Amino acid sequence: MRVIIGYGNELRGEDAFGVDTIKKLQKLSLKNTKLLSLHQLTPEIVLQLLDANEIIFIDASYDEKNHYALACSLTEQDNLNLSHHISPKTIIYMLNNLYKNMPKFLIYSMMSRNFDTIEDTLRYQECVDAVALYLSLEGQKN
Amino acid sequence: MQKKTIVIDPVTRIEGHAKITIDISEEGVVEDAKIHVTQYRGFEKFCEGRPYTEMPALTARTCGICPVSHVVSATKAIDEILGVTPPKAGVNIRKIVNLAQMLQSHTLNFYHLSSPDFIYGFDAPKEDRNIFKMMQTHPQMARDGINLRAFGQKIIEDLAGKRIHPTGIIPGGASHKIEESTKEAILEQVPAMLKIAQSALEFFRDNLHKFQEEIDYLGAFPSLFMAITNDEGTLEHYDGKLCFMDSEGNILKDKIEPRDYKEFIGEAVEDFSYLKSPYYKPLGYPQGMYRVGALARVNIAKTCGTPLADKELIKFKALNDGKPVLNTFYYHYARLIEMIYAIEKIEELLKCDETMSDNVRSTSTVSYERGVGCSEAPRGTLFHEYHVTKDGIITGVNLIIATGNNNLAMNAGVKQVAQRFVDPKNITDGALNRVEAVIRCFDPCLSCSTHALGIVSSKVEIRDHNKKIIKVFERS
Repeated sequence: MRVIIGYGNELRGEDAFGVDTIKKLQKLSLKNTKLLSLHQLTPEIVLQLLDANEIIFIDASYDEKNHYALACSLTEQDNLNLSHHISPKTIIYMLNNLYKNMPKFLIYSMMSRNFDTIEDTLRYQECVDAVALYLSLEGQKN
Repeated sequence: MQKKTIVIDPVTRIEGHAKITIDISEEGVVEDAKIHVTQYRGFEKFCEGRPYTEMPALTARTCGICPVSHVVSATKAIDEILGVTPPKAGVNIRKIVNLAQMLQSHTLNFYHLSSPDFIYGFDAPKEDRNIFKMMQTHPQMARDGINLRAFGQKIIEDLAGKRIHPTGIIPGGASHKIEESTKEAILEQVPAMLKIAQSALEFFRDNLHKFQEEIDYLGAFPSLFMAITNDEGTLEHYDGKLCFMDSEGNILKDKIEPRDYKEFIGEAVEDFSYLKSPYYKPLGYPQGMYRVGALARVNIAKTCGTPLADKELIKFKALNDGKPVLNTFYYHYARLIEMIYAIEKIEELLKCDETMSDNVRSTSTVSYERGVGCSEAPRGTLFHEYHVTKDGIITGVNLIIATGNNNLAMNAGVKQVAQRFVDPKNITDGALNRVEAVIRCFDPCLSCSTHALGIVSSKVEIRDHNKKIIKVFERS
């Protein structure tokens, strides 16, 4: 099963990118896909990912220079400064080491310089639509 | 030797962002150490002008780890403003959700933030002293932590709508009753969860002998303790009266109505931190330093009121022959007892017939201009005080965050640890880890006054008396 996780804070402007993309995907009735909308990644999320063979994380990333650029990365900088929320890499590490599940994973990010508001509603929505459409088409291939 | 300052920034494996400075005197000894909460949130000001109905949702955003506590204190403050008494079912739902949050929060501290120190020791190489190594060497323990946290979070979601920033705790009670199927699903998991919590406590106790120096010097000092307690003197997290106890176990003042808290708690402000420094007014500042949270609660409580937790409480109280346990390291012990208590109490409340009633909410309109809501958050006593116009617009807010109550004690602990373990001529990673560890004992939720930042490494700077950096330590 493919699991798509969109996460972010809807009250913090463009940080809601992942959550808004999940809302868009929910209208598309994707087959064999579980959609999760989260405020942040927390350790117990792994229990909802035990059957996943592919996990896609959708998030907003802070970037001053490339506002509204979209990126797809297999890697991300890990955060060892553990608090109550954790990184995609930690989630995957937990799945690998604790539950012997080795899913493929991807991270889709929209670059943003503003987590206070949505600066350009049109461009923001274009990013949401682009990622949702791409993931929808990818889902149909599988 | 030149006068120096060592800076640990950020402090790792805590909730939120802080830095520590350690001042080295010209004689080459640790002179002072302080914890600085370095970001400002401003909730007390920007809530002004909002309708009172928004306060639970607004103040929940103070924090991503303990939003339930803010929702509970906020709704209790509004209950006072409305002059309503929530029905028993509404109160019990709030209690269950509050306990579920305490369980998941304590679980996170023990398994994810603190256990690397317990498993590998404070002097272990930093590459090994983290949760990734723990997952390799103690996978079952890691899975236990995940299961216990999931249990608490699922209860919050089922009973209050969302795991983070829940919306089901509302003024006058709760938004909806508990479904029978939800109750059964929770109860079915109770035995397994109790087993996990008991094994965690057993693990901790079995390893205590390795940490005698930490027990003796990680914030071991006399202080007052404050917690809410009920008429029977049993452990209480939702409702009750305030109690102050001294380090000998004498009750200085009890049965204080939370709405009268300002008569007994002063709020000092220091220029090195955005965190307030509350103190017990009758003893003045800073002599009125007190501790709150799990250690204070189990010190003050005569019993837990649930069988398994009570057995553990007896052993705990024997640590200091029935007098209050003063060692900050034992916050971990106290939290583990509260984890067992929380599971037992959730079961007890769910099995109570009144909890399942359809009548979960009372309604009213603005009746009073002031309301104070007080509850025990995972990290200690939490106060929300609101003032409103007759139309329900907020004109004043005062919040004393649970962690803030511990500010003076955290600073005292950091200083004690630095003076014991930090050798200015040979600053080791183990010593700096202990300075951080004393803060982790308190499990501060600095997120309540800051945003957690994704900074990878800690940096320790040594500066001379002119603030010029002469040496830098990078810590990951």
